[in-house]
Amino acid sequence: MTQPAIEISGLTKRYGEGDAAVDALKGVDMIVQPGEVVGLIGPSGSGKSTLLKCLGAVIEPTSGRMALAGETIYDNGWKVSDLRALRRDRIGYVFQAPYLIPFLDVTDNVAVLPMLAGVSNAKARERAREMLAALDVGHRAQAQVPQLSGGEQQRVAIARALVNRAPIILADEPTAPLDSERALTVIRILNEMAQRFGTAIIVVTHDEKIIPTFRRIYHIRDGRTYEEAGEARAA
Amino acid sequence: MINLAGRDILYGWGKFVFTGLGLGLLIGVTLSMAGIYRGLVDDGRVLLQNGGADLWVVQRDTLGPYAEPSSVRDDAYRGLLGIRGVAAAGNVTYLTMQIQHQRGEVRVMLVGFEPGHPGEPGYLVAGRPITRAHYEAIADLRSGLKLGERIRIRRHEYTVVGLTRRMVSSGGDPMIFVPLKDAQEVQFLRDNDALVNERARTAANPAFNRPGVPGLLEAVQASQASSHNVNVVMLRLAPGADEAVVAREIRRWKHLEAYTRADMDEILVAKLIATSAKQIFMFLVILSIVSAAIVAFIIYTMTLNKVREIAVLKLIGARNRTIAAMILQQALGLGAIGFIVGKTAATLWAPIFPKYVLLLPGDAVLGAILVLAISALASIVAIRAALRVDPATAIGG
Ligand SMILES: Nc1ncnc2c1ncn2[C@@H]1O[C@H](COP(=O)(O)OP(=O)(O)OP(=O)(O)O)[C@@H](O)[C@H]1O
Ligand SMILES: [Mg+2]
Repeated sequence: MTQPAIEISGLTKRYGEGDAAVDALKGVDMIVQPGEVVGLIGPSGSGKSTLLKCLGAVIEPTSGRMALAGETIYDNGWKVSDLRALRRDRIGYVFQAPYLIPFLDVTDNVAVLPMLAGVSNAKARERAREMLAALDVGHRAQAQVPQLSGGEQQRVAIARALVNRAPIILADEPTAPLDSERALTVIRILNEMAQRFGTAIIVVTHDEKIIPTFRRIYHIRDGRTYEEAGEARAA
Repeated sequence: MINLAGRDILYGWGKFVFTGLGLGLLIGVTLSMAGIYRGLVDDGRVLLQNGGADLWVVQRDTLGPYAEPSSVRDDAYRGLLGIRGVAAAGNVTYLTMQIQHQRGEVRVMLVGFEPGHPGEPGYLVAGRPITRAHYEAIADLRSGLKLGERIRIRRHEYTVVGLTRRMVSSGGDPMIFVPLKDAQEVQFLRDNDALVNERARTAANPAFNRPGVPGLLEAVQASQASSHNVNVVMLRLAPGADEAVVAREIRRWKHLEAYTRADMDEILVAKLIATSAKQIFMFLVILSIVSAAIVAFIIYTMTLNKVREIAVLKLIGARNRTIAAMILQQALGLGAIGFIVGKTAATLWAPIFPKYVLLLPGDAVLGAILVLAISALASIVAIRAALRVDPATAIGG
């Protein structure tokens, strides 16, 4: 039996202290298998971004446990020493806006990740071009970022999230700026990539159009998660 | 790894290049300031060298003739020639004044000297030495005068017969050399009103107007209308003579001050140019601070404009060191552009400065090191800001 890619139990996060304290997460449980794309849905302020930040190792949870591929990374305290390497090698990020680096061309925007991990420039660019081709933007590899359309930029951002073959991708409202056709394309691509590379993907969204595409959905309300089988599964 | 700093500079090169140009002009001014100081010192040295003198004999208790007024009787040289080790002596006068020439006016230092004696201009770049006793002049190139040109100094016209180079006063005024007698007349010549006035005062003095002493008043008045003073007596010593010993002899027996070339060097550089040097140093300090502020401001704004990119880079695993290096390299790049522009500008505009600007390679190297050090310092604020960027902001709300 394969290990779940993501396993979270009893995760809490409190911002601030005393009277000003905000309990953003009050007990989150979540399991995502490799190759699975799950939706994370909830009203504004319910703790979606906070959960992604904890999982993405950019903020520290208050208590609970998180494991990636069976390896505990957090158990009432970080269990890995190099969070930077964890972020670089094991987690890919896709944001609401592509947040590409404007002074690098398309290839280097993707190649910078393996380069940061110490891969040679030539190898890193080769990997980047492969990944761009897989996302159907191979023909734009030489272009400058501002020359790309919004949809193309988002694909480049996904290529960047995938290029290190990170087993997990965290996507915070990746379709928000896109029209419904492009939004659906992005979700289709994420599904394809999950299949192809066995990546576990969590997609935070408000977007009514794409909600039906998820097989499994986590609802989050007031800092707690509730699991629900998605409509796609029911169909 | 790709050079992030270089890519960012190429991406926003316009801002970078224009800032570099502005900074460069500032650095150019700074280098020129240093060059002006070096020029002052060098002018002083050349001035001392070209006179061909070993000792400068001036009025007692003065730092004459360049740093303080000094007056010595013009027959003192006879006694000086009697001192062992003195080979030649020459009377010299100095006077800063405006002179007229055909095309306008120029501020010069008028030097009276005795041809063939110490104090005559060292070498000529054109023309010939002065051969007539009166009304011939040798001018420095900086005065803009040409051979054969006629100039007016007070009441008389002079012909320029020779030209020198690098003979300027410590204030940067070009020198005009004329025969000593002419210079003495210019120096002590009074205008007609003053002369009449002086005569009347003398005539009114009963001491000069005694009955039974005919001609006394006339003799006194004649002596008042001409001068027998010079500013310095320059001595050339016999081979093997010890200048320190001769100087001591002169001080002891002649009630005059004697300076060696080393003394004069010290007076010119440490005392006379000291105020200018301090002023230039102040400018250097201020310009350095302004340069640092410019670099700091530009690098800081460039960094603030990149906060999002920096957050993303951190999120995807860039080290703090990588990001600090990017900003430091940009600051150094800006400094390097500035220095190259500045050095080029300073070299190009040096010849059109009215004063001699001496750009020493050593100063340029020091300047480059300073610019880079200042740039590195100026990037600290930006680096601190960048290191404070939270990778969580890349994920957003
Ligand atoms: N840095 C912080 N300091 C204090 N409170 C915070 C901080 N970040 C978030 N919060 C609070 O935590 C709660 C959850 O915020 P979070 O950003 O996770 O919500 P969200 O579900 O992503 O909302 P949205 O859909 O609007 O993006 C909110 O009440 C928010 O005000
Ligand atoms: Mg959010």
